[in-house]
Amino acid sequence: MKPSLTVRRDLSNNLRAAYARMWVRLRGSNRDPIALGAEIGLPILTIGAYVILYHAIGLPATAGAAVIVGGAMIAFWTNVLWNMSSQWFWEREQGNLEMYMVAPVSRMAILLGMAMGGSLNTGIRALGIILLGIFVFQVPFQLREPFLVGIVFVLTLVALYTLGMLFASLFMLYGREAWNTANLLQEPVYFLSGAYFPGFYGSLVPQAIQFAGSLIPMTIGLDAIRRLAIGGGDIYSVWLHIIALIASILILFPIARRTLNYMESLGKKEGRLTLRWQ
Amino acid sequence: MAIADFVKSTRESFRVGWKIESNWTDPVLFATYQIVRPLASLLIVAFIVIIGATVGVAGSAFYNTYLAWLIIGTAFYSYVLQAMLGMSFLIFVDRNRYEVLKNIYISPGTLHPYIIGRGLVSVLNGTISVVLTLLFSEAIFNGLLHMNIPLNLLGVNLLMLIPAIVLGIIALLAIGYLLCALSIVANRMEFILGDSVAGIFFLLGGVIFPVSLLPAPVQLISNALPVTYFLNSVRESFGLLPASNYMSDLGLLAVTTLAALALGIFVFRGAEQRARRLGLFDRKSEY
Repeated sequence: MKPSLTVRRDLSNNLRAAYARMWVRLRGSNRDPIALGAEIGLPILTIGAYVILYHAIGLPATAGAAVIVGGAMIAFWTNVLWNMSSQWFWEREQGNLEMYMVAPVSRMAILLGMAMGGSLNTGIRALGIILLGIFVFQVPFQLREPFLVGIVFVLTLVALYTLGMLFASLFMLYGREAWNTANLLQEPVYFLSGAYFPGFYGSLVPQAIQFAGSLIPMTIGLDAIRRLAIGGGDIYSVWLHIIALIASILILFPIARRTLNYMESLGKKEGRLTLRWQ
Repeated sequence: MAIADFVKSTRESFRVGWKIESNWTDPVLFATYQIVRPLASLLIVAFIVIIGATVGVAGSAFYNTYLAWLIIGTAFYSYVLQAMLGMSFLIFVDRNRYEVLKNIYISPGTLHPYIIGRGLVSVLNGTISVVLTLLFSEAIFNGLLHMNIPLNLLGVNLLMLIPAIVLGIIALLAIGYLLCALSIVANRMEFILGDSVAGIFFLLGGVIFPVSLLPAPVQLISNALPVTYFLNSVRESFGLLPASNYMSDLGLLAVTTLAALALGIFVFRGAEQRARRLGLFDRKSEY
């Protein structure tokens, strides 16, 4: 058989596996209207509390807009944590991981499917959060460059879900640690990304915190989206953010791939891939 | 004898719960885990107030007092968060993951003390978070940054604080008990129930802003929640609200706690009967 045919067949198999995993995720997450409504409505409770707090301490209404965008991005981070990073843990608990291991496709294809399904699902929820937030709290937006916002948003998601692939690989052999580590990465990341307060890259936030926050692609993307959608900025205000996001993707993707291979190999050697109830 | 058995079962459940929640890692990492989350929550609200103080029009005294008010709300909200999330997830984990709910249920008289014992583990986790948050706040804002926020941990009136905490914990356990009942009869709600109730309390319970800032009809709901009176009483014991309102707040906390208990028991009985009729105690659902 010609090598090119093998490559084409492998690519086709992997893309089909990614599509299948995406379909399962889309179908599984959207079949229950109560869950869908709750996933849109729940963040509004927290966002609403912060918007009222801003009002109470005399911050301008744009701060409310910033927290609504932050709340929508948090939906993606939550999805990355619980539906990407700890996904192998859930799959192992349900007995699916061994099926993924024996399937003749790359594990990266399965992660890609999870990421595509997760980002689409969360995109629907994030849009709902933003629309509901604008409707309920009447906060101002200044969207002059919608196309640019779209580009930054997509780059942020790709970087974020690539980070999710890396975490998924690292969490592969975790037992209860997966659950607790995902929990641990919630509030600290909400703080480090500046999701609930505006002006993360301003003079009030210490540089060490800004640096630590910049290691999370969401921080960079969120700041860029806020500059464009709330501050009425243009390409000159976010070009550095775009470069940083592209760099994140280029760095994180190969690391995720190598980590996945390493952890899978380690799991096979130690016989931990099918271990449940740890 | 029945009470002794109940206490013994609760104690054993607490021991099991504590082991499940703490022995997944080494003690140092576990301690870090316990510290990092409340610290991050505290820093979020602190940054908001510091930003407010920079661009807002009110004087620094207002922001310092507000920060102290906010620290108490955020710190004691840990009890709410731990109890709601921990107890709403308990039934799901024991039924679906460990598949032991049916065994617990058929052991005579163990389900109720089991739930309470596991709820008390959430209370212990909440207490650790509260203490750490308060200590960090004092160390960072008054020690390191010399902000002179009116938060005097040694000056707290324990005679006012302890009854408020005891009643608040009973109320939260009662609501957690109600969430367990709903989890028994619900399907695939484990990720929604606890978050929903905790989110409602965060918005309506006066955690980060006074209830008076809410629209009047919404305030009616806030005034029916035990969390509102719990946080008011705690703030009064720290001298951040007028102490003259303490007895009325404590009385209302007691009334709403009793109502939560009655509702919890009523819903649990209904859920238990339905679960027995439909065979839900050993139902295993997947996504």
